[in-house]
Formats: sequence, C-alpha cells, structure tokens
Amino acid sequence: MSQVSILGNREQGQDVRSANIMAVQSLSNIVKSSLGPQGLDKMLVDDIGDVTITNDGATILKQLEVQHPAAKVLVELSQIQDREVGDGTTSVVILAAELLKRANELVKNKIHPTSIMSGYRLALRESVKFIQQQLSLSTEQIGTEALINAAKTSMSSKLLGAESDFYADIVVNAMQRVKQVNSLGEVKCPIKAVHILKTHGKSSKESTLVDGYAIEAGRSAQGMPTVVEDAKIACIDFNLNKFRLQMGVQVLVQDPENLEKIRQREMDVTRERVNKIIDAGANVILCSKGIDDFALKYFVERSCIAIRRVKKADLRRIANCTGAKIVVSLADFEGDEKFEPSFLGLATKVYEKRVGDWDYTFIEGMKETRAQTIILRGANDYFLDEIERSIHDSLCVIKRVLESNLLVAGGGAVEVALSIYLDDFARTLGSREQLAIAEFSEALLVIPKTLALNAAKDATDLIAKMRVFHNAAQKADDEQKKELKHSGLDLINGKIRNNLKAGVLEPAMSKIKSLKFATEAAITILRIDDMIRLAPKEEEAPRRV
Amino acid sequence: MEGGAKALAFQQRDIGGKMDSEKTKDIRSTNIIAARAVSDVVRTSLGPRGMDKMIQDSKGHVLITNDGATILKQMEVIHPTARMLVEISKAQDIEAGDGTTSVVVIAGALLRACQDLIEKGIHPSSISEGFAVALNKAVEIIESMGQPVDLNNRQQLIENAITSLSSKVVSQHSDLLAPMAVDAVLRIIDKENDTNVDLRDINVSKKLGGTVDDSELIDGLVFVDKKVSHFAGGPSKITNAKIGLIQFCLSAPKTDMENNVVVHDYTAMDRILKEERKYILDLVKKVCQTGCNVILIQKSILRDAVNELALHFLAKKNVMVIKDIDRDQIDFISKTLLATPVAHIDHFTADKLGTAGLVEEVNAGGERKIVKITGCPNQGKTVSILLRGSNQLVLDEAERSLHDALCVVRALVKKRSLVPGGAAVEMEVAQKLQAHSREIYGSDSYCVRLYGEALELIPYTLAENAGMDPINFVTELRNRHIAGERYAGLNVKKNTILNMLEENVVQPSLVSISALTLATECVRMILKIDDIVLSR
Repeated sequence: MSQVSILGNREQGQDVRSANIMAVQSLSNIVKSSLGPQGLDKMLVDDIGDVTITNDGATILKQLEVQHPAAKVLVELSQIQDREVGDGTTSVVILAAELLKRANELVKNKIHPTSIMSGYRLALRESVKFIQQQLSLSTEQIGTEALINAAKTSMSSKLLGAESDFYADIVVNAMQRVKQVNSLGEVKCPIKAVHILKTHGKSSKESTLVDGYAIEAGRSAQGMPTVVEDAKIACIDFNLNKFRLQMGVQVLVQDPENLEKIRQREMDVTRERVNKIIDAGANVILCSKGIDDFALKYFVERSCIAIRRVKKADLRRIANCTGAKIVVSLADFEGDEKFEPSFLGLATKVYEKRVGDWDYTFIEGMKETRAQTIILRGANDYFLDEIERSIHDSLCVIKRVLESNLLVAGGGAVEVALSIYLDDFARTLGSREQLAIAEFSEALLVIPKTLALNAAKDATDLIAKMRVFHNAAQKADDEQKKELKHSGLDLINGKIRNNLKAGVLEPAMSKIKSLKFATEAAITILRIDDMIRLAPKEEEAPRRV
Repeated sequence: MEGGAKALAFQQRDIGGKMDSEKTKDIRSTNIIAARAVSDVVRTSLGPRGMDKMIQDSKGHVLITNDGATILKQMEVIHPTARMLVEISKAQDIEAGDGTTSVVVIAGALLRACQDLIEKGIHPSSISEGFAVALNKAVEIIESMGQPVDLNNRQQLIENAITSLSSKVVSQHSDLLAPMAVDAVLRIIDKENDTNVDLRDINVSKKLGGTVDDSELIDGLVFVDKKVSHFAGGPSKITNAKIGLIQFCLSAPKTDMENNVVVHDYTAMDRILKEERKYILDLVKKVCQTGCNVILIQKSILRDAVNELALHFLAKKNVMVIKDIDRDQIDFISKTLLATPVAHIDHFTADKLGTAGLVEEVNAGGERKIVKITGCPNQGKTVSILLRGSNQLVLDEAERSLHDALCVVRALVKKRSLVPGGAAVEMEVAQKLQAHSREIYGSDSYCVRLYGEALELIPYTLAENAGMDPINFVTELRNRHIAGERYAGLNVKKNTILNMLEENVVQPSLVSISALTLATECVRMILKIDDIVLSR
C-alpha cells in the first residue's frame, strides 16, 4: 500500500492508538500524585513568570498548554468535569487514562476496538445503575451533618484540609442561605450568589462569612459618611463627568465671556443630574462609570455615599438584590430629564470597612434576596488563589448535594464496590464484551490504588482487604454484613473503615458524571485510528520568479 | 500548490530515465496508486462500526470525524489525481449528502480492477467503455431493487435517517436526531409536488453546553449569538409578539458628508441635548404606535444601529430589542415571521410587522442565553434546529451528522425510492454483473466482471471494520444473493446476515446510484490521463 501524499504527516492504525494512549498516560501521570487527601501540590510557572500552586486537576491541566491533540481531549475532559460537577477533576483524568491503557492491551491481544467500546458502554450503564440502586443514600438517611461532611471531604485534599471544620461551616452556611425553591418546586442554589473576596494579611482562620454583599471599593471622597442606615440605593450606569458635547459638534466662541458661560453650563448639566438623583431620596449612589471630582462635592454636601467605577456585574447583582433599577439615562417621555424614586433600591445598612489594606463597602439587609460574601484572608496571593479554588469546589459539591440529595461513601468505596460487581457481571456474559468489562472493572481500582499510594500506604494489601469486604457485602444476606459496602480507605491510619460512619461523603451525581465523562473520553480516543497532522502554513509563501 | 509542484517534479525526475513508452504506463499507474491511497485513508471509516480520524490542521485545531467528505476536505492532498477523489466525495456530499465515504471506497476498488485489466493488456479506452456498460447495468439493477417511498410515511423516512446516522459518533442519539431531520424537511416541503428541498430553509444553530439530548426542533426562529439587549433593563419575555424588522438606525442622525454642528452660545448646548432626546423619542413613539413590541435591528457599519438613549426609551415602553442582526439573516427571518424588512421609519406601519406567539430569552447553560421566537403563524416554510453538545468536537460532529440526515431525507424527496442498506445493494449488483458478464462478448465481458468483483469490497470493508471475519461473511452473503435473497445484507450490530428490508436498514436509491455514477465517471477520467504536464 502506498502513502497518500499530503502536506504534513500521518499515522495510522495501532501506531496512532499507542501514541495517543501514551500521550494520555503521561498526562495522567502528572496529575496522579495530587489525587486524594494526601496528594501533593504542583507549582506551575507560566510564560510570564506567574506562579500557581494547586492540586486541582483542572487547573493544572489548563496551565500545562498541552500540544498533543489526544491529550487535549483529556484536558477538555477535566474542564467539562469542572464546569458540570466542579469536583473530581483529577480522578476523571486518571480513570480515562487507565481505561485507555487497558483497552490498548486488549487491542494488542487482537480484540477489535469496536468490541471494547461496546463492552465499556455496557459496563458504564451497569455501573450507573448499580450506584443509583445500591450505593447511594439520601441526605435524610444520613442526617444533618451530611452536608458538612461532604464539604469536608471535598476540602480534605486541598490546602485548607487542616481547617476543614472551619471552612465547611462557612461554605455550608453560605449555600444554605442562598438556597431557593423555585415555582416548580426545584431547589436552586446559585453559586454566583456567593461572592468571594480575597484580601491578604492575617491568617486564613480570620476568614469570615458576611450576610450581605460586599464590593471592593470605598467611598469616592473622604467627606462622605462611612455608614448610612436605611439606605436608598441608586444604581447609575452613565458618566457623572463634566458634560461633553458629542463628536461632530464644534464650539466656536467669539466672546471670552461666552467661553466661561459654556464651561459653567457644562458643569451645570452634571449638577442638575446629581441634584435630581438626590432629590428623589437616594443616599447611596453606585456608579459604574466615572464621577468627576467637582461632582463628588455635591454628594458630600448632601452627605451621601457615592462610589464610582463599581464593576458592572456587581452593580447588576446589587440592583437585583435590592430591587433597584439600573438607570442608563434620565430622559423621560416628555423630552426632559427626571429621576423617579421607584428606581431606588433598599437596604438596611451600607457601610465602609477596612479589611487588611483595602476598603470594602458592605451592603446589608437587602430587600429582595439574600446574597452572601465570603472574605478570605491568607498569607499570600498563591495561598488565597488556591483557597478560592477549593472553596469553589466545595460550593459546587454542596450545591449538588442540596439539589440532588444523593450521597455515596468516598475513599474508594464506590470504585471497589463497582469493580467487584462488574467482575461478577462480566462472567455472566458469553460475548466478546466480557473481556472489556473485566478490564473496566480492573481499571476502576486505579483510584483507590492511587489514593493509598499517595498516602504512602501499602496499596496492594489495602485493596485486597477492601475487595474481600465488598465481596462479602454483595454476597451477604444479613443487614450487618451489607453495611460493609460502605467500606473505604482510612488514609491516615492505613486501615479499612466504614466511610459512611466516618463522614467521608461525596455527591452521587459527581461520581456518576465522572464515570460517564471518563468513559466517553476514552471511547472518543479509542475510536481514532488515523491521525493526520497538517504542516503549519508558512508565514509567507515563497514568491515565484 | 507549491508542495504539489515539488512532489510532481520529484516524480518526473523519477521516471525521466525510463523509455518513452514506459512513461505513459507509469503515469497511469502512479495516478492509480495515488488515488487508491486516498481511498485507503477513508476505508476504515466506512460503516456503523467505522473508526474516526483525528486531524490537526495547519493552525493546530483538532477535528475528530468519520465523515468521508470532511476528512478529505481537511487533508490537504497534493497529488492532482488524488484530488479528483476528494472532488467526487464533495460532489456526492452536494448531490446526495450521504455516502461520501462509500463513493471514495468504490472508486478505489474500481481503480484496482483497472490495474488488473491493464495488466491483461486491455486498452484503457476499452476499459472505460466496459465500465460504462457495467454502470448502466448496475443502475438498472439498483432501480429494480428500489422500493417506492411515500412521503407521508414518517416512520419509513425516520428509518432512512437512522441508517445514515448509525455510523456517526452521535449514533446513540439517532432516535432524537432522525425524527428531527425528517420533521424539519417535511415541514418545509409540499409533499405532493416538490422534487427538491432548499436546505437553506432549515436553519441549524449550534450552542455549546448541555448534551446532544437537549437539541430541539424549533418552529420559528432561534438566535444563539444574539442577545436581547438588557442594557437598560427591558423585558426578556413577550407573548403575542408583534415583531418589527428594521434596517434603519435608532440613533442620532448623521449626514452623508462630514458634518459639523457649530455652537456659539451656551443655550445652544441645551438645545442640542433636548433635540437629540426629542428626535429619538419621536422614532421610538412612531415604532410603538404600530403596536410593535419586539424589534430586530440590522447591524449597521456606519454608526451604532441603536444608541443608549433609544434602548432606554424602548425598555421603558417594554419593547424587546434584539440588535446586530446580520444582513444575510434578514431573508430567513422575514420568511419565517412574514415580516417585511423596513428601511425607513416613514414606511414602518402595522402591516409590515410579523407576529409570533412567544419571544423569550432562555437560559442555555451557565452564562449564555439564547433567544427563541416560537408560535409563528407561517407554518411550513422554514424551520430552525438548535443543536446542543457538551464540547465543541461533539457539537461540530453532530452538525455534520444532522446535515447528512437532512440530505438523506432530501434525497428521498428528489427520488422517491429506497433500497436496502448494509451492503445488500453492492452485493446484489456485484453478483448480477458477474452473471451478466457471461452473456456478453469481448473486453466488455472482462470489464463488467471485474467491476462486479470490485464492488464486493464494500461488504468486505463493512465486515472488516466491525471486527467480523470478512472472508466468511462476504462469501456467505454472495451465496445468499445467488440463492435469490436479494435484500440480504450485513447487520453489523448483530454480526449476522439478515434481510435488510425487514430489519429496516434502508437508504435512498439516489445515494447508491449517485455513488456508483460518480465513482465510475471519476475512474474513467483517471484512466484516460496518459501524461501530466506541469505548467508554470
């Protein structure tokens, strides 16, 4: 067979499959050591010298700027997991890589990739069914501390694991306060209602949860009051600068006196606008654009708080929470300008407070909905960034738990249980898929194995024990033995324990989704049997003479 | 073409040393080899169990697909004859929309047959003639196998679409996408009279987020990249919408020439401010007078199509504004909504407005929102499809697959007949041609026989890609066809040979006929080339 000539190079068949899987494997090796509570962190330095310290799989992979196209699929995978679930970004990559490694072995043993793929699909379907029917428990069955425990589990692997009690409290409180039930009876927990601010200085234990909304901006002028009770908030989305005529309008003055008048008039236009806003009753003015210094004077005179350059997103959220209307123009239908009192939003208290080196403005007791702000403190920026990522992960976990209400035991319990179940299931099948399902079951064990390895424990020994427990649980009839299905790793003592009782919990949704995503990604890569790389176009085509 | 020229120069040097008579032979065989290499590239993607190709283009973007036309389009093939194969795949895509892989595989198989025939000493022109005879016969056979299609039989059409989707990544969603494609086409055609479908009347939009399962057929319009302008608040849902489609601007006027307004006096400043407000207010009032409550504004390159003040007024009047509509979308929009685009405010009257039951902004995963206009009174002329997918690769592949499914349905509208899938047609033609070859004389007989044999490559490849034993299956399939089971084909999912009509694995006749015709014509053309001359 001859090669087709193309501008670029091309790999086919087993070569490309092995190359793809190798690339995926090396990627998974990078993140492997950061899995689990005893996982270690990575320090990443990007091309401009910025440093990130993290053990969040999605963040590591995003920073890596992977070149290989198959490895890119995996990076995208962890990104999707991050978007859809928010947690488990490392395990999904490790699992996908392991599935591919084992698939490759099968292909080398002359099993057609299509059979492997259908085997994997079957195994996935059975696993999801098994998790839903056998392994998951609703929060009512576990009790109230379930939420705290789930948050703690997700934090255990992160930098703030040591203070997980403290942070779990903050996270759970924040999420519960923003929880809403919509008209269809669904529980909604908008993550965005929890605002995270980072300030360095002091210890991480000084982080606080504030009931209300905080913005990273202080008053625009020192003469303004620091506290306003019964605030009437005006949200302004236009410039309160000196009025300038639009483009194409020329000012031509013959008389110097006129010049002064025009200058005066320019200022007066703004003054009139300010007065209209204040006359309507506003005493807190948030402006997303600029306010000129001379205009600030008017606010000071009437003792209002005015804040300029508020971020548009903040402004929109404050408007929603306080019932204010964002005003883009004062024009009304008579062709005049007017500020209606109905545009104002209400809050019980607006005050400025200094946290660390920055001034923050807090808005409390907002009329419509409750927003929460977590102020994080910490020694340096890297630390704060990492804490923010961990808090975000935990918020996602709590959101999933509150919304779906289903939990599973963590610490490798689910993976080992599934592995035993699939192993048995494979033996009931008489077709070619059997081998693939058996490998799928083996591949699942990579998670508890890596967990144990990272904790410097004897992985082989522990896994063997766990398998015995889970096998007993699945074969058993009496209730007591069935409880063994929640056996998982205790990575501190290197033992097996009931992780349900120990409070190591994860949302069932996150487990199911990560299995699904990992299998889909593995199949996508497995389906590829040809890779064509076109040569990059040259900057400038050589000119012909 | 720089690289192409180099490659050719290389080949010419290669053959330069040989005798002149050898040269034409060599050109022909290099042509055939180059073209066959192309067909080998896509061969592994054929059929429901075909594999995917990963292509990294010159800019580094990655594409994963198993659509023959897409693979070949992306690969920058250099050799000119190899390019001809790329062209026929494209032609098949335009003509039938499906079978883009098969057409290339068939062409490759026929070329191999040519090599054998040339070695036997048959003149290329005679081979070309012989293939023409074979093609005529083959088309005749396919037509005799065709089952009539009733466009009112929705189920039958859906089965066709499912067959075409079965080879794609999104095949597990075929029970959703296939009915969608069928309904979309059925809605825009006149079932009795139409012989073609203008696929431009089906607007397929893609939106990242969600899964393919969330895709939907929308009776009306959907904007994925346009947002309702919330600059000044404004509604995000309007029922009983009266929609105005405007091509003029709602902003301060501007003359054609460069202009200047000169202010001498501070009182004039007030007047300018006031006049601008008044001018915009006037426009807005005129718009509102017609009862219009949704405005679609065409993008303007000269100035802001709508300024902040106008948005402010419109929001106050509870009019929804969707701005930056592209010029080429205007046609589709006005066709769907029965709204006449208006180019000047003076012509903006109530009868130019389109109506819709509901215009609303819907959350589509996270930050992104889409605008849906549904309940349009004008049923049956246009339709929109919104595709969703969890990542860009899946989304793009879903779009290509949906396009194939739409084309399959279109092919049935063009020619209302269908044939069994699963290589049943190819095997039947192969077997009948071989029988026919024994009834004719001369070189034609050889050509027809080898033409028939070549077609057996399709069932062979299908079986091979599915991990079945190809020799066993092909020989058994041949036996069945000789025994008179005309509709027997490979069921790749069940790994057996079954009657394809009963299994509901069907495809439009047009796809098979066009694949054979295009492949044969291409091969005949390649055969007739005996020299390549480079011109600078």
